[in-house]
Amino acid sequence: MMMSGKKTAPLELRGGDKLGAQDITVLSLASLLVFLIPVFYINRRLKLSINAVMVSSIIRMCIQLSFVGLYLEFLFKYNSPVLNMVYLLIMISIACQSILKASNLKVLTFFIPVFFSLLLPFAIILFFFNAVVVRIDNLFEAKYLIPIGGMLLGNCLRSIIIGLNSFYSGIQKEEKVYLYSLSLFCSRIQALKPYFKQSITASVTPTIASMATIGLVSLPGMMTGQILGGSIPLVAIKYQMAIMLSIFYTEYFSTILAVLFSLKVGFNELDVLNQNIFVSRR
Amino acid sequence: MIKFESVYLKRNDKQIFSDLNLVIKKNEKVLIQGRSGIGKTTLFKILLGFETIEKGSVTFNGKDIDKEHVKEIRHQIFYLSQDIDLKNERVTFLLDELQEHNVLKNQDQAIFSRLMDLLDLKTVVLNQSVKDLSGGERQRIGLLIGFLMDRPVWLLDEPTSALDETLKRKITDYIVAQDKTIVIISHDDVWKKNSTIRIERW
Repeated sequence: MMMSGKKTAPLELRGGDKLGAQDITVLSLASLLVFLIPVFYINRRLKLSINAVMVSSIIRMCIQLSFVGLYLEFLFKYNSPVLNMVYLLIMISIACQSILKASNLKVLTFFIPVFFSLLLPFAIILFFFNAVVVRIDNLFEAKYLIPIGGMLLGNCLRSIIIGLNSFYSGIQKEEKVYLYSLSLFCSRIQALKPYFKQSITASVTPTIASMATIGLVSLPGMMTGQILGGSIPLVAIKYQMAIMLSIFYTEYFSTILAVLFSLKVGFNELDVLNQNIFVSRR
Repeated sequence: MIKFESVYLKRNDKQIFSDLNLVIKKNEKVLIQGRSGIGKTTLFKILLGFETIEKGSVTFNGKDIDKEHVKEIRHQIFYLSQDIDLKNERVTFLLDELQEHNVLKNQDQAIFSRLMDLLDLKTVVLNQSVKDLSGGERQRIGLLIGFLMDRPVWLLDEPTSALDETLKRKITDYIVAQDKTIVIISHDDVWKKNSTIRIERW
């Protein structure tokens, strides 16, 4: 098991107590950097040239998370539905952009279809989660909306990247085969079907695999966080199951929609793949 | 039936067609010859709507090849591409899939057997995957699909390149005898022996 440490043990026993995890001082957090000394030493002895990347990644992580901490504090303090929604919409836009960048597709061309393919399943599953599963009174409660939304989005990001990438690069690679199918079937849907099937399978396979092994190797982050935060393991486990299912559904539907919604910009009106949709790789 | 009027087409800065004019009448058999890279295959691609022209007009049965008509036009064309770009599936799977979507007009078992005979295809081939077929087998499976589809216009790109002499003669005779509009791109002299064929030299 990944999580351990004597500090958490008494909290677990207290069950529903709202005490939360013990605060860490900045100094004690910084004490973790001690282990960088052997890492630097070994890197030097092995002549590994990863020091620069490693240090810049660690610095980036610290800065980015500090910012997240600051604005989450802000969001939680005001807990305004409008503000929370705006925050989520911004997150979706950022997600969109990184999806398209990673898929080598032109951001301007694909932004709107991908935005809506994320927004629809995301909004439905998120509100279902809050209203039907957790049954909170205020559906826009920042404490639920923001972290759950973030988890759903983060996972969708990966699956849509895999889905779009597999779909468009698959057709680009096999363009002759696609066009030949089109000439036989005279139906775009039928000619696209193999690529569509392939892209959905590729995009949800990692999540299906992780559902099968969860709990065997590592405790998922959300559960760890909840237990540290004072929830009893049984509650944490129920949340974990709910979030795994929600992640799977959101990924599944948003990948399908991303492919479907993007067809209009991906293909010309005679059903031929537009060649100018890819960002040229140099 | 098919009409190209002062067609211009440029691809990757290379002028493929400038002022191309070509008329193909119903049930005519036309053989197009010319060195490679001259745009013979592109001609077929334009008719299928896979390639759009820069200037001029192309009509199929008097209809432009546009969004409104492209589906209907594709339904009338059997296109045999040079590499027979079939999906890599078992041949039976491909045939079943085409049948399911009502693409194959000839559904009669007797016709099927006769065509298998004509094309000298053994039934074992049907259980093989497309990628395991030899070039000649793939070409004949491509033709089999086309014969079964029985569409009115055939666009054949090097349909006999991988066949032996006897088969070549048998198959070209069968093709030329069809009541169809047929355009053939081929370097094979076997087509020229047939007097009904009009030869277009580019």
